[in-house]
Amino acid sequence: MNRAWKRWVPAGVVVAVIASAAIAVPLTASAAVDLPTKTPQQVLALVARSHVGSLSGTIEQTSNLGLPQLPTTGTGSDSAASSALGLLSSSYTARVYLDGPTKARAQVMDKLAERDVIRNGSDVWLYSSRDNTAIHSTLPARTNKRPGATTGEVKTPGELATKLLAAVDSTTTVSVGNDTRVAGRTAYDLVLTPRATGTLVGSVSIAVDSETGLPLSVQLAARGQKDPAFSVAFSSLTLAAPSADVFSFTPPVGAKVKEQAMPSHQGAMKPLRPETDAVKPSMIGSGWDAVLSMPAGAETAKLTSSPLFGKLTTTVAGGHLFHTALVNVLVTNDGRVFAGSVPVERLQAVASAP
Amino acid sequence: MTGDAASGEPAIETHGLTKRFGSYAAVNGIDLTVPRGAVFGFLGPNGSGKTTTIRMLLGLAVPTSGTVRLLGHDMSGDLRDVLPRVGALVEGPGFYPYLSGAANLNRLDTADRYAPSATRRARVDSALERVGLGHAARKKVHAYSLGMKQRLGIANALLTPRELLVLDEPTNGLDPQGTREVRSLVRSLAAEGTTVFVSSHLLAEIEQICTHAAVMSVGNLVAQGTLDELRRVGQPQVRVLTPDPDAAARVFERLGLSPASVDDSDGTAAAATVTAPLNDELTDPDSIVAALVSDGVRVRGFSIERASLEDRFVALTGEGFDIAQ
Amino acid sequence: MPSSQLLRSRPAVGWALLASELSVLFRRRRTWAMLLALAAVPILIALAVRLSSATPPPGRGPAFLDQITQNGLFVGAVGLIVCVPLFLPLTVGVVAGDTIAGEASAGTLRYLLVAPAGRVRLLLVKFAAAVVFCVAATLAVAVAGAAIGIALFPVGPVTLLSGDTISVGESLLRSLLVAAYISVSLIGLSAIGLFISTLTDVPVGAMASTIVLAVVSQVLDSLPQLDWLHPWLFSHYWLGFGDLLRQPISWDSFGNNAILQAAYVLVFAALAYGRFSSKDILS
Repeated sequence: MNRAWKRWVPAGVVVAVIASAAIAVPLTASAAVDLPTKTPQQVLALVARSHVGSLSGTIEQTSNLGLPQLPTTGTGSDSAASSALGLLSSSYTARVYLDGPTKARAQVMDKLAERDVIRNGSDVWLYSSRDNTAIHSTLPARTNKRPGATTGEVKTPGELATKLLAAVDSTTTVSVGNDTRVAGRTAYDLVLTPRATGTLVGSVSIAVDSETGLPLSVQLAARGQKDPAFSVAFSSLTLAAPSADVFSFTPPVGAKVKEQAMPSHQGAMKPLRPETDAVKPSMIGSGWDAVLSMPAGAETAKLTSSPLFGKLTTTVAGGHLFHTALVNVLVTNDGRVFAGSVPVERLQAVASAP
Repeated sequence: MTGDAASGEPAIETHGLTKRFGSYAAVNGIDLTVPRGAVFGFLGPNGSGKTTTIRMLLGLAVPTSGTVRLLGHDMSGDLRDVLPRVGALVEGPGFYPYLSGAANLNRLDTADRYAPSATRRARVDSALERVGLGHAARKKVHAYSLGMKQRLGIANALLTPRELLVLDEPTNGLDPQGTREVRSLVRSLAAEGTTVFVSSHLLAEIEQICTHAAVMSVGNLVAQGTLDELRRVGQPQVRVLTPDPDAAARVFERLGLSPASVDDSDGTAAAATVTAPLNDELTDPDSIVAALVSDGVRVRGFSIERASLEDRFVALTGEGFDIAQ
Repeated sequence: MPSSQLLRSRPAVGWALLASELSVLFRRRRTWAMLLALAAVPILIALAVRLSSATPPPGRGPAFLDQITQNGLFVGAVGLIVCVPLFLPLTVGVVAGDTIAGEASAGTLRYLLVAPAGRVRLLLVKFAAAVVFCVAATLAVAVAGAAIGIALFPVGPVTLLSGDTISVGESLLRSLLVAAYISVSLIGLSAIGLFISTLTDVPVGAMASTIVLAVVSQVLDSLPQLDWLHPWLFSHYWLGFGDLLRQPISWDSFGNNAILQAAYVLVFAALAYGRFSSKDILS
């Protein structure tokens, strides 16, 4: 009996080793970090001083916005919903290469497919392997965007952090959380908390590289939701200039090449966003609980006629609601659109206000 | 390793060997001793636990309790060193039907790490010759008859020189000619000094070649020893062939013998056989003949016979060869 | 006594048993039937594309299908993409499920063990042969695909997923990498099949269970509600070989896949050992 029992020891040991490795590896990755204490202002200054021009790394974006989920199996076909909702609201892994202010490349690594954004000087290429199309545009000479700004819809933690920090004003509390580790680098955790209670955003957490001040990750937490509703973070990062041929792109033989006069985020990566409407939207209020309003027009009509619209929205008093953990969008029955990081009641109130 | 063969330890020795399947004891605490150089008949009806015992002897099944020693080694630990010295045929042949006979033997020989690869081909060929399969060596096994497969199984046991051969029902599926060949093969192997352990449910097939035997019944070992020892256990019988059976029976009774049966089935209605168990110490056989003759009983034949092994076998395992429960 | 001399000689390492196992595997008609069936997949795809007048539109059907007419080297890739979810696991399931149960049902298991093959050694040899079959099965698709592609379509520089173009020579190298990736992907399934095979004497049962597990794993992998489970499913990285078709090559999937498959091999080999080393061979 004793001997029979011993036969299972290797199996037990193997399972125990794998289980402990599965627990220990993430633990060591986030092992306690102890950096010199900095005030929120010092960390903000660290970010402001940061000028990392060259890097190559992999970023992981996950969004847990509470959207209706559809199975995404299949060898070739993409889920229509995830492409329609655009990259910003989806989960993906992308490799990012930056070299100075004018060379950038982002590769969104889909299963057996890839979407690329390449900027080399004034040339910008968008390439999608799925339909084998390349879109070329030339930037006006005077354009001198900040590094990383040209990876299009692929937002690096740096870009998002810059936008979020630009909006920091008296409506936001800034604090420094526990020191952390992202992509193997030590980082300060800058936490932005809205003072206003009427917003869906619970807090924003930005990991700032302790050495260079480069934002390594951005996490948005929704009120009353445990996991981050949205997170973009480097999973690996090298602060060195990538090889030059990463940025040289020649459309492959057989690809459909389109010329586009102006740089645009449309085409291969067209998002479903009300801001692209030709009609000027207007802001009601300011700060975290501001509401974006858009009059009825051709663009909103196109939106409501989409077959996905019915699937993604629910009917509420006064119109249709597109609900995510961080943003609510109300399309009223007369075609106006109201959007904001606020509860639906506030959108309805704004819509019914004269 | 050296000295093993010379040592006086039995070829097979078990103590309290037991195998239970749930609450059912297939083998129930048997103590088996097979001396070196013996041709050992392992007898018992189907289902009496012979094959289960053999599986435990060869390490295929783990005993529920008890020990097995083969060639002086404990089988729970030294399996790898002992088994190369043991050739076995277990519960019928098992071969890859899509390979030829020679290829099958070749494969099983590679499994034995002690079998030299340089001589593999020659050893396979000679083993096939020895069982009379030389002509069918390159034929696929699915074209073999049951008897040929059985021979191939025996050939597999003979791939390397063995100290012990364990043959489970080796004559299954063989015609009388094949059975005779197996018997003479076993005899010649025994003559070379190999211990042979043969199981069978048919006593007659192996009685002529065995030096020792053991009898299994319903998981128990009911007898074991040399053939003579087994025969001696039974009472001798006195048999008289006479045309006057009734008179003969009366004489037997007067002498204190109890005539068991009157058998007149030998075809000649003129005479019948009268049999009675003989109590050696009390009765002098010669006086029986004198008494019969003096009473005017015509004696055509007279003999004192010990019980045949067959009778012993039947007595030990029950009448007929029903599957034991 | 001659046998004592035999024993005094050192035991061979036992490569002969592996060689014998491989020759038994590859002398079976069934093995060749499966390899031919796999090779037929890219051939059928190539013929269908060649014979139909319309070029397949991009973005429809399996990835790369639209590229075949321009470059025959893609036939192998399309064949592999089609075969990975079902056909390859099917054939691997048959071979891995047959390992021990097949010997048991043929009655050869007891003779191998009495020979004695050694139970651990037999498991190792059986697993090694199953791994060799994984490689052979993958190569059957890749090589048949490359051959028919070269025969029916023009061959030229190959466009990667990233839109970069590489030479024919490098593309063949990448094809080999993809084949290596898929072979590695199937090793975990082989280990599972080996374990299931030690549980039964009915080879068909072991084969079917192994194949069913491969399908179940893929179904679970497609349910977003179970995304916490996905990284633990042995089929999770099966289609991740796309990462080898990017410029520069991303080795992350290869590494993760290898670690995952190694973990499955360790767990199921240990389970197979636990089961088989004490199993009563009653067949």
